[in-house]
Amino acid sequence: MQNNHHDHDHEESEEILAQKKAARPDIQRDNKYWANLEQYNNDPEFWKAAEAEFQSSPLRGEKEEGWARREFLKLMGASVAMASAGCIRRPVQKIVPYNKQPEEVVLGVANYYTSAFYDGLEPLSVLVKTKEGRPLKVEGHHEFPLSEGGTSARSQAALLSLYDPERIKGPRKNIFNEKRSNKDTIQIKWDDLDDQIVEQLKKGQVAVLTGSLPSPSTRSIIKEFCQAFGGQHYSWEPLNLSDVSVGQKLSYGEAAIPYYHFDEAKTIVSIDADFLGAWHTPVTNSRQFSKGRKNVDKMSRLITFDSNYSLTGANSDIRFKIKPSQQITVAMGLAYELIVKQGKSSYASNSLVKSTLENFSTAAADLGIDPAVFAEVANNLWDSRGESVVVAGGLPTMNGQQSSLQIAVNFLNAVLGNDGKTIDYKFDWSNSLSASWDGLLALIEKMQAGQVKTLVIHRTNPVYALPDSLGFQEALKKVDVIITTSDRMDEVAQHSHYVAPDNHIMENWGDIESTTGLLSIHQPTLRPLWDTRSFQLSLMTWAYLADRGPKRLLAYESYFDYLKNYWKEEIYPQAGKGKNFETFWQELLQNGYVGSAPQGAGSRSFKTEALNQVKKVAATDGYELVLYPTVQLADGSQSNIAILQELPDPVTKIVWDNYVSCSMATAEKLKCKEGDLVKITVGTRDMTLPLHIQPGLHDSVLAVAVGYGRTHAGSIANGVGQNAYQFANISKDSIQFSGQNVGITKLGKRVQLATTAGHHTMEGRQIVAEATIKDFKKDQAAGLHKHHIWSMWSGHQYNGNKWGLAVDLNSCTGCSACVIACQTENNVPAVGKAYVLQGREMHWIRIDRYYKGDMANAEAVFQPVMCQHCDNAPCETVCPVLATVHSDEGTNDMAYNRCVGTRYCSNNCPYKVRRFNWFNYRKEIPNPVHMSFNPDVTVRIRGVMEKCTFCIQRIRAARNTSKLEGRPLKDGDVKTACQTSCPTDALIFGDMNDPNSRVSKAFAEPRSYGLLEEWGAKPSVRYMTKIRNNDQESASKDGGAHAEA
Amino acid sequence: MLKRNQLILGNKTLADITEDICKPVETLPSKGWVALFLSAKTLLIFYVIILGIIIANGMGLLGVNHPNGWGTMIITFVFWIGIGHAGTLISAILFLFRQKWRTSVARTAEAMTVFAVMTAGLFPLLHTGRPWLDFWLFPYPNQRGPLWVNFRSPLLWDVFAVSTYATVSIVFWYIGLVPDFATIKDRAKNKFRRLAYGALSLGWRGTARNWSHYEMLYLILAGLSTPLVLSVHTIVSFDFAVASLPGWHTTIFPPYFVAGAIFSGFAMVVTLMTLVRIGIPQFKDYITIDHMEVMNKIIMATGLMVGYAYASEFFIAWYSGNQYERFVFINRAFGPYGWSYWIMVTCNVIIPQLFWFKALRRSIPVMFVVSIFVNIGMWFERYVITITSLHRDFLPSNWGQYAWSFFDSAVLLGSFGMFLTLFLLYLRLFPAVSIAEVKPVLHVGRKDLEPSSGGHH
Repeated sequence: MQNNHHDHDHEESEEILAQKKAARPDIQRDNKYWANLEQYNNDPEFWKAAEAEFQSSPLRGEKEEGWARREFLKLMGASVAMASAGCIRRPVQKIVPYNKQPEEVVLGVANYYTSAFYDGLEPLSVLVKTKEGRPLKVEGHHEFPLSEGGTSARSQAALLSLYDPERIKGPRKNIFNEKRSNKDTIQIKWDDLDDQIVEQLKKGQVAVLTGSLPSPSTRSIIKEFCQAFGGQHYSWEPLNLSDVSVGQKLSYGEAAIPYYHFDEAKTIVSIDADFLGAWHTPVTNSRQFSKGRKNVDKMSRLITFDSNYSLTGANSDIRFKIKPSQQITVAMGLAYELIVKQGKSSYASNSLVKSTLENFSTAAADLGIDPAVFAEVANNLWDSRGESVVVAGGLPTMNGQQSSLQIAVNFLNAVLGNDGKTIDYKFDWSNSLSASWDGLLALIEKMQAGQVKTLVIHRTNPVYALPDSLGFQEALKKVDVIITTSDRMDEVAQHSHYVAPDNHIMENWGDIESTTGLLSIHQPTLRPLWDTRSFQLSLMTWAYLADRGPKRLLAYESYFDYLKNYWKEEIYPQAGKGKNFETFWQELLQNGYVGSAPQGAGSRSFKTEALNQVKKVAATDGYELVLYPTVQLADGSQSNIAILQELPDPVTKIVWDNYVSCSMATAEKLKCKEGDLVKITVGTRDMTLPLHIQPGLHDSVLAVAVGYGRTHAGSIANGVGQNAYQFANISKDSIQFSGQNVGITKLGKRVQLATTAGHHTMEGRQIVAEATIKDFKKDQAAGLHKHHIWSMWSGHQYNGNKWGLAVDLNSCTGCSACVIACQTENNVPAVGKAYVLQGREMHWIRIDRYYKGDMANAEAVFQPVMCQHCDNAPCETVCPVLATVHSDEGTNDMAYNRCVGTRYCSNNCPYKVRRFNWFNYRKEIPNPVHMSFNPDVTVRIRGVMEKCTFCIQRIRAARNTSKLEGRPLKDGDVKTACQTSCPTDALIFGDMNDPNSRVSKAFAEPRSYGLLEEWGAKPSVRYMTKIRNNDQESASKDGGAHAEA
Repeated sequence: MLKRNQLILGNKTLADITEDICKPVETLPSKGWVALFLSAKTLLIFYVIILGIIIANGMGLLGVNHPNGWGTMIITFVFWIGIGHAGTLISAILFLFRQKWRTSVARTAEAMTVFAVMTAGLFPLLHTGRPWLDFWLFPYPNQRGPLWVNFRSPLLWDVFAVSTYATVSIVFWYIGLVPDFATIKDRAKNKFRRLAYGALSLGWRGTARNWSHYEMLYLILAGLSTPLVLSVHTIVSFDFAVASLPGWHTTIFPPYFVAGAIFSGFAMVVTLMTLVRIGIPQFKDYITIDHMEVMNKIIMATGLMVGYAYASEFFIAWYSGNQYERFVFINRAFGPYGWSYWIMVTCNVIIPQLFWFKALRRSIPVMFVVSIFVNIGMWFERYVITITSLHRDFLPSNWGQYAWSFFDSAVLLGSFGMFLTLFLLYLRLFPAVSIAEVKPVLHVGRKDLEPSSGGHH
């Protein structure tokens, strides 16, 4: 599928290229023609006037900051998808005219290009589906060794940031007053911008601040650029992993961000590391984690110690609630249990270790955990030593003691002999996730000292994501000229002199180094929509115009040429394996990557003296703050995408807001109910947020998500929630996001939090069937009440294919990638908070989350629910106009054109998966968002019912392909959008009439059951029991949820 | 055999009757009528505007959502259809059973039926997502295959049931009006009236032949209407009962709905008749306390039937052992919409018990208040059935509340504007009591029917 269809002529030999290059005319970059003196002098006033010349409407003016409903409706379309084949854009290197149809471009047939997604958490190799030169959908890259086809909700939504109507359409200049207090931007030409910037750069003292840069060629360009102008490169972003890498350095002497083999681990203990949710590389982790649990008999055990109710906590077999100040106690307590109490491991004879550990002798009691249970966790780890892994990290662990925590965790892993086995430090993420706090703090110091004349900011947003108390904005004022590459007038751009907008990643060439030695390349999928220029080319141009820097930087006219040459010089020699470079390059573009999966490394020796700094954190009274990134918005950089804002938080199921989470007991103590506005105070900073009562939270914890409260991200994100980054305490000595003492007061007002989950328990019904591993080993159908179902009717006959979908609840982590994948594939709109409150969200696939057990220690289960395509579909019989009918392949089809909209089908659907177009959502879609619509899927008009179609368009496409190839459809030819996006392979689609298909085999498993099977609708979707790998065992034979009914 | 009181009071002569009944049609309206009409008409205009806004923007303006696919429009549709039942029952079934007391109230009750069905009929058409395509609900020859309708869908049955009902009741009502139109034509003092009522009376001349045909046709139409009284609401109940939703899927619905419809219909007749008696005082002689009492007895009887249905639903839910079914009924009474359930029980079961007392069921103020409560209760009955079953069904994650909006209130209120406007016009333009049918039940010349204490001179 991922054939590279770019009709590049780069197969041509190098000589021809060189000749061509010599024949190229010089690039004219000066202003040849001028209209008047003002323009000649480049008077900013002139440009301002020129810009406004043809925009004379009196209505034009400063945009309203608030969220007028109309305005919102207009822009919420920013996340909807629809078809129109009008715009044909192709990458600049390969314009293909259609007067002679190119071999590989067939109208209506999709091409897939290897591409990449990167948002600060994870460099992800993906495929982008394009039709007629228009990117339409992000797909997983199945051959890529780490994610193996998995994607995340955020990567699926990246397409909509490409088509975001609020991207700036060209370079801009900010006309500041003396104090830089105004915000007045005008358009500027690239040539003028370049000239002005080059003049400034020549003055030296240049700093380049970027986010993590997984691209080796970009790093190389920055390095050479810095050489040219005497600059320095700093790398920072809010969710950086410097805690892990510093911890590694202190423990082993070498900094690293190791790769964790979650697939090989038998016991996984996570201390606040939300590795399935929004810690680093969640897709890779989810993929590998799920592999370790596919074989139920040998599945791994996940034990979490959770300050927030994280997605990882929700997926754990055993979850303990803690508060941030207890994280070290957990790690050291487990070590104490093993080494001191049980005398295990060679460290038992080490007196230094023993004396350090003595401080933690009361760990279980401190944590409020039954000592026997705590000891059992330690024993679990010990029993699977060498095959276990302990991880900690992320914002909830940034309590100022994160280095100690990392040392403690590294020590525990060393004791267990995991280092070099499940923890692969040679296969290192450090290059791709290089951002750190040191860099930023050093830069701020330099800026404050006035040692930075020019600051280039790329792909990071310190103005938004740093607390004001750090003084970054004041420091910015001491910089003469600030240049940013923001794609919108965001918080950084507001403070910058020049905005030199970068291309979207899908408009750009690039490369990505995931872990050491695993490199991938991404190709542009369309010509830049607007007058933007890649960051790399900007740097190259400035160096070229100043005529400074290494030869390599000046020699190329485009970033693509630099990139290719860089690969030829730097990567090809090692990775080429004797192939001709052009062959290597072609194969690379097709495969998208070179390198292989990690193999394991030898163990290192742990520096026991590092343990000296590990001190018990003094217990505090009061409440402790936990800041955490969410699965949907992560660091907040993509928050102007409405479908991400409307993606329910996997655990709380709340959309369009952040809030303070607290436990039920705390809420009762505060006399608060869900949605009550509260003021939380950390030191001198306070914030007003609604309260959310979260089962399973520690009573002393108040948790708030970061990534909200953007002020200049665009009309969708602005004003949604509050910016919780403001609560961070950043200084040279301590980086603190969590664990701060926080005060809370009730304000007496209540707002409604928009949630997509109506109710949180299963009311004793068999909805998500669950069994413990011990029950499962006794009876593979444990937890299931099999209903006796009979019918007087023999049922439909399906002679060809009969489509079915198996959902493995034991694999599903609730990450919600499928929800966004479905929305982009099927042109499903976002509707906005007001309508979610009225129960009008449009998701075709939703992930139901239920809690189990008592409020204080609730366990969570997830269940994706989409149209079940019932054989005896209740919706079909009641539609008066036959708009929903059964196909001879077992799907339940919707004829939108025929639908009158009685909504009877929805009423009669026991699963309530049908969605109604209450308004004409498509009318509100701004240009160019309509370009993102999948042309294979109808965009629904107001007043019709819609629902999951089993991606019928994909079935048709696969059938066409098989017909052309003269063969029957085979298993795996058809993959639904939700299935291809799933990082854990929890969804299996296929032909139930083929006994050898994966889906038939899954259906035949004893774990398989139909949702509301007893209702007799005969769904074509079947679920497989969730297995919890804990030590519980049910006494009753029937077991499971039904027993309570 | 029980002896009835006189059906018509005031020792009327035949001429008095004609005079009394034609008077509202032939005189200028009273200030009270004008005031009522203007209010009703304003409400109707408001209703038209609201419906226009809804058609222009979408059903999303109302509180319908997921999981509540149906809301105010369907609730109010069933409410008005139910109201309609009393008219047909009085005019057709009581006619077949030779209940003479029906003559005074039949005409107005039938008019109420027609207007209620008209009011109701708009709702299923307008509550669709794309009302401009509603004609697809009718089976008609077309070029799409031809693409037929789904005869398995109760909504389609509904289309037939309601349209048949509307047609038959309009024809039945109109046929009954023909001799009276002729009377008004004969009394007309200007050409326009003569022309208009002449046309309406279809050339009625009052010959024996006319009467003979008329009686036969009336009897046939009464025979045709009678099964409709039972079938229409039975089929409306199928909209719910044939669905697989707990709380809807029950076999008791057809009789329960019919009883409820007659219950609410009679309540509405009582409400309107008390008002007519106030507005047109001479009608007090025709629509007597005795008439009202009979209707109140029916209200009490059907109220008890409805109460029995409520109880038996609970019993069956428990007896079925089905957890979803049980949950729905417990939730209905004690869930977030419990208040609506208790309003329903109070209004429909408890309050009509007042009619056990003769003094109360013969008191105009009491019966007016009770009938209003019954109307409220019966609207809430449909609310309870629709919303409480939908809002919490099988999968708890789907649960949600109905998002009641301004437009829900406006639609409900506006529908009364439409009904009342039509009804008030009817009172002014049509003879509100059947002249031809009342005359034969007079005591004139029938000593056997005269009460001993009658003031006959």
